[in-house]
Amino acid sequence: MLSHTTTRDWLIPYADGMLAVDERHRIDSHIAGCAACAAELREVRELNLLLVTLPPAPPVAFAPFWLKLQAVLPQRRVLRIPRFPSYRRLGLALAAATVALLAAAGSALAAPAALPDSPLYTVKQLEESIRLTFTPDNDRLTVQLQLASERLHEARAMATNHKPLLAENSLRAFRVTINDAAAALKNPPDPPAAKAAVKALRVELAAVEQANAAGADDDADVRQLVLAATDELDRIDGTDAGTTGTPVVVGEQATPQPTPQPVSRPTPQPKSSGGDSKKTSGDH
Amino acid sequence: MAKVQDAPSLEEDAEERRLIDRSAAGDQEAFRQLVLRYHRLVINVAFRALGELALAEDVAQDVFIKVYKALPGYRHDKPFKHWLHRVAANAVTDALRRRRPIVSLDGMEQPPASRDADPQDIATRHDLQRAVRHAIASLPSHYRDTIALQAFGELSYGEIAKTLDIPLGTVMSRLNGAKKLLRERLGSLAHDEEEANTA
Repeated sequence: MLSHTTTRDWLIPYADGMLAVDERHRIDSHIAGCAACAAELREVRELNLLLVTLPPAPPVAFAPFWLKLQAVLPQRRVLRIPRFPSYRRLGLALAAATVALLAAAGSALAAPAALPDSPLYTVKQLEESIRLTFTPDNDRLTVQLQLASERLHEARAMATNHKPLLAENSLRAFRVTINDAAAALKNPPDPPAAKAAVKALRVELAAVEQANAAGADDDADVRQLVLAATDELDRIDGTDAGTTGTPVVVGEQATPQPTPQPVSRPTPQPKSSGGDSKKTSGDH
Repeated sequence: MAKVQDAPSLEEDAEERRLIDRSAAGDQEAFRQLVLRYHRLVINVAFRALGELALAEDVAQDVFIKVYKALPGYRHDKPFKHWLHRVAANAVTDALRRRRPIVSLDGMEQPPASRDADPQDIATRHDLQRAVRHAIASLPSHYRDTIALQAFGELSYGEIAKTLDIPLGTVMSRLNGAKKLLRERLGSLAHDEEEANTA
């Protein structure tokens, strides 16, 4: 038979249906003979009723909501490599011709090696977009892997040159490129070559991390992006064995660390003021 | 208690990852699709917390701006929905605390009542709902954040544990403490409501 105090401590999880069957039975037995606990249980249920009857919002049109939101979204440089619709290919061909002329003139010869802090970098991006657009589907994966490798080369160079923001941009572009290639990488035409390429990307990612850690910057965002990119490769490889590392931070709210283990028969800790077993960013 | 939707299928999960990564890279069309998926959820959380649609929409806008800014650091190490719930819960409890306890006369903010509903009952219910919201806002932060996920986000104990990354026992302990304080602060209001319902 449960004590009066224990029963009162367990009434809230009991009312929320969170106790195991045998625990429920023990509470039931006590309540059957205890008017005070029965009355308290009624109060707990009344409070629950109030909490669950807070009404949902009436329907809200999405379009005006989005337009208002879009107007205040911070502008970020779009780093994805676009897929151009076919009707624009003529324009692109002209652009390609222009780039070719520029190359002939010598000014674009340096573009393929341009780094994100170079004025020629936009030329390089255009060249890459054109190259990818005109690549036949069966060669597309090879080009994507080359471009992914190029992004890591840039990220490493920027980290070494103490330009962490540009390194972050290259790492984000890497993630987008590798994400685009993910489906093809799951089923590559040449599995050994694809595996070797992914392995090489891992080595390059490690080099970016090393360059970042070696500098005075040791930028946390670069570190996070390297970890995220590594996760991405794990996912593609099917070797994702969980993640570790710095949690995401939203404003002042840090995403806490480990995923909690389910507890089969949780025991309430009712005298809980300040008695949480783990403090999170939500605790002030 | 209402349950949140089941976990997305693998295909949906892959699609969501793609949208998140593209949004993180600055693709606003991808972000639009993410917002389209979740705006209803966030507005609902905010409305249940604040009781005013215009204010709920403003808070929902803030939530998505925070999400957009933070997405480049998101690592897929927890479901996006849990992460979003946490951002939303923090935003609405902040808004709730900032908001002065005013008595609104605008019945249009509440969902339409049935024709048979007694106007006096409706007014009483709205007063109760306001009292509950303000009582939640007055709780210590660790209680407030936890019960906000239950009352406003309609999450189960397990989902709260995952969202806050705390053990289930801690969720239980916090909800226990929060509800005891709420009962003290709401006094006889809940009891009166129950009597009104059974009358």
